[in-house]
Amino acid sequence: MRLDLKAKSFAGRPVLGALSLQVARGQRIAILGPSGIGKSTLLRIVAGLDRDFDGSRSVPERLSAVFQEPTLLPWRRALANVTIPTGADRAAALALMDQVGLSGKHRHFPRQLSLGQQRRLSLARAFAARPDLLLMDEPFASLDADTAGRMLDLTAALLDASGAGLVLVTHDPSEAARLGAQALTLSGAPARLV
Amino acid sequence: MSSPRPSELGPDLASTPPSDVPAATSAQPRRARLPGLVPGVASLVALLALWAVAAALTGNPQRLPGPMAVAQKLAALAASGELWFHAGMTLLRVALAFVAAMILGGALGLAMGRSRRLDRWLDPTLVILLNIPALVIIVLAYIWIGLNETAAILAVALNKIPVVAVMLREGTRALRPDLDDMAGVFGMSGPARLRHVVLPQLAPHIAAAARTGIALIWKIVLVVEFLGRSNGVGFKIHLLFSSFDVAGVLAWSLAFVAVMLAIDLAVLRPWEARANRWRQDAP
Repeated sequence: MRLDLKAKSFAGRPVLGALSLQVARGQRIAILGPSGIGKSTLLRIVAGLDRDFDGSRSVPERLSAVFQEPTLLPWRRALANVTIPTGADRAAALALMDQVGLSGKHRHFPRQLSLGQQRRLSLARAFAARPDLLLMDEPFASLDADTAGRMLDLTAALLDASGAGLVLVTHDPSEAARLGAQALTLSGAPARLV
Repeated sequence: MSSPRPSELGPDLASTPPSDVPAATSAQPRRARLPGLVPGVASLVALLALWAVAAALTGNPQRLPGPMAVAQKLAALAASGELWFHAGMTLLRVALAFVAAMILGGALGLAMGRSRRLDRWLDPTLVILLNIPALVIIVLAYIWIGLNETAAILAVALNKIPVVAVMLREGTRALRPDLDDMAGVFGMSGPARLRHVVLPQLAPHIAAAARTGIALIWKIVLVVEFLGRSNGVGFKIHLLFSSFDVAGVLAWSLAFVAVMLAIDLAVLRPWEARANRWRQDAP
């Protein structure tokens, strides 16, 4: 993944300044910074969800993401939530659900799962896409310390197994350290990477 | 922290009766199994009784025949096979116009809900169409296209398309952006997004449009048949109107009301129940 950003502004107000970001397969980086600095905006640009910026972007074919909220399809069962967005086959999806500790839950609808289970399902979905690059936007922010710790270990293990690259947006440097990600900080106005 | 308002507790907690009325809680499951069936049947029986009394008081079977007279007429029509042919023709027109209106109106509403620009361009046309009387569209369709089936179906569909479009436009505007982002990042294809992300969110709006649509459409189909077709329930009512046969008019319209109710109970409601399974708390 390579992003050469010249500038990004919302309604004439500059948010992000010139910055460049490069992540190879297997490489992990974390973008740190206070809230409101533009971390999520930067991630949306990398994800291709925001194309209204000045600069150039090239990404690998297979992207996937873990969002701040589980962002599941409430009207599809757990297994379908893994297979439908990613195109993964049933066996692969079931294996991933086992790995994140959701064995036997494949026929549940999301609202029949606890929030922690929904987050793990969202993680399983992200890896079912067999991504070259995984994008994570504050995925552990609203979790208690225990749950966040387990999710971090799970994420690290799945990243090791898949060899995917990682761009993690977080405000917590210890998360970056636990995932072995190189920490970059976004600061200033318009924000730049330092 | 302030305590949550009753509406935030959800329907289950907010409506739980006080613990000193056990009778109310034990009656809950039985009522859930027969949703509104008893009051529904009772009100129908009351309506029939009112009709019978009114007919007896009028004492003029030409002007207001009683329920029995109409039932006999209905039985005769069913026995002769006439009922099935004409009701079938009307039902066919209803189905064709309904499908056309739901697909075209739905696509239009979806497009207008997604694109502000398109909405600004098409909204005035939509408002005009919404306000043209059904009769005007029917008459113009017959004059411009001819007294044929195409004109009939098109006239009915045109009456319904703007209503469906408006309802689905509102639904589309309320689509969840986070699910859009998810579908975008994972690179879901257009058809997959429509089927798994967009349509399930629009299901309540589609169901509402379908229910009001089917009620509106069969009434308009009758007018279309009355004015320019040589079969169907509307055509039969036209003939009976010229001979002031009230029993016949009532028999035909009640027969068709029954058909439409059956469709609602046998098709629309089960579909809604299926589409809402994911809202249950237990698997």
